[in-house]
Amino acid sequence: MAAETTGVNALEVTAASVTGRLGEVTLSLPRGVLAGLIGPNGSGKSTLLQVAAGLLHSPGSIRWAGRPLQEIPVMERGRMTHWVPQEARFEFGFSVRSVVAQGRYAWGDDENGVDEALARVDLSKLAHRPVNRLSGGERQRVLLARALANGAPLQLWDEPLAQLDPRHVLEVLSIARGLTEKGKTMLFSLHELRAAYRLDIIVVLHQGRLRAAGPPQEVLTPELLNDVFGIRARTGSGLIFELP
Amino acid sequence: MTPPWVARIALPAALVLLAALALASLAIGDLRLGPARIWAGLLHQDELASTVLWQIRLPRLVVAMLVGSALAASGLVMQAYFRNSLASPGLLGVSSGGAAGAVVVIGAGWTSYSLMVLPAAAILGALIATGAVLILARHGASTERLLLAGVALNALLGAVTSYVLSNFTLTYERNAQILFWLMGGLEDRTWEHVLMALPIVLASVVLWPLGRPMDLLSLGAQEAQSLGVDVRRLRRWMLALATVLTALATAVAGTVGFVGLIVPHLFRLLIGPEHRRLVPLSLVGGAAFVLACDLLGRSAGGLRLGIVTSLVGGPFFLWLLRRQA
Repeated sequence: MAAETTGVNALEVTAASVTGRLGEVTLSLPRGVLAGLIGPNGSGKSTLLQVAAGLLHSPGSIRWAGRPLQEIPVMERGRMTHWVPQEARFEFGFSVRSVVAQGRYAWGDDENGVDEALARVDLSKLAHRPVNRLSGGERQRVLLARALANGAPLQLWDEPLAQLDPRHVLEVLSIARGLTEKGKTMLFSLHELRAAYRLDIIVVLHQGRLRAAGPPQEVLTPELLNDVFGIRARTGSGLIFELP
Repeated sequence: MTPPWVARIALPAALVLLAALALASLAIGDLRLGPARIWAGLLHQDELASTVLWQIRLPRLVVAMLVGSALAASGLVMQAYFRNSLASPGLLGVSSGGAAGAVVVIGAGWTSYSLMVLPAAAILGALIATGAVLILARHGASTERLLLAGVALNALLGAVTSYVLSNFTLTYERNAQILFWLMGGLEDRTWEHVLMALPIVLASVVLWPLGRPMDLLSLGAQEAQSLGVDVRRLRRWMLALATVLTALATAVAGTVGFVGLIVPHLFRLLIGPEHRRLVPLSLVGGAAFVLACDLLGRSAGGLRLGIVTSLVGGPFFLWLLRRQA
């Protein structure tokens, strides 16, 4: 499994907190893992991702690849970590391609990999469509294509699966897996528990506190699910979905 | 989507238009001047033409262009800052802030101390107005909130101006000066005014490289930060530039409405939302728009600039609101 520690951790969050939204959370992710962040609405998932991405100020410390965040210049941060918001609000009609190309800003706008990223999320045909005329799922894929074009070694995505159809959910999971196989580290929040079983590590937040972290089979016990989500879990036969 | 050739020829086309308008602006007036006489006048070979051009028309032309560039660029920056294509210096009350600052120092009779008192007061007034807008409507605020904040601020600053006006009713000259600022105009502009407005050139140069990061910011502050933009610094620069540009324009021409709304909007419709293109286009297009409005006013028997831009801009704004709804 990719979860074994090889040298420096990709992400280390130590005693980070945000008043009213996140209690003291300590968390570290080894390089190359595909990690999922789960928890009920309001449990602090988005806040934790923003803190980890250096977008929200918090006491405690954040380290990327062993380096304290405050020592990394803003432009370099853009090359080291990429954060994808939960929802895209596009006020202006930039073309899909130009939004994806923004992922290369920190590399001097070299446009490397922009067209490949568009193709990877099925957006090549919409490349010249204004982003403010897309559906919710298409917008989400634009943000993911921008993340792929950006290609930073640490990727933090806020509910990337939320608005996608079943086919694109599987596509995005496969993209995420592909990224970690190339040595990138991924942490993304999700509500789809079945998808959670495909990941290396599951981090569970509950009421702003870290409840558990580890491989899904160990973490997602019926007791924990009952405790955190108030749902009953039982094993049974059902359909299993995968890409053809 | 606009075809790429439109985007490519937009700037050259705007420059040609600006040159043509500038030429017309030198030619048209009580004394009509043909190209040959303009040339002779500029080279001081024709005394009458030379006086008309160097004393009256050239300073007016330069002030008009600087004012237009400043207001259009200021509107563009505000729209990116607030992520709202209806933001502009006039609607948000920043112009009124500049005018109130100017009116206060004119009313107090301080403008005679130094040439720089007036623009400094306008900048101060505009800064106060910008600060108030920021408090009333945080970035990314809805159109309603932003416009209502502007309405409140315009009313408040209007009251300041009226107070000054009502307190100096006896001095005709100051009152006339104040009225000039309230209506916005380019009459009797001299090289002193050009000098006052010259920092606009500097501000435009500073604005130039901010186009690309403004693209990223206009789609969301946190996204921009994550992509490598120093958002706090960028925002400080944008606010400072938008405010100073508006204030300087107001200091030399009074409140001239709608330029900052119309010009960036038209170009966004024409060539898309990319600020790398919109920054130079707004600078050139703003100058051309104000020149055109000034020519229109002059040929309509001396309608003041502020009146013409409002007559053109008001209906355009209503059309935009309808289009957005």
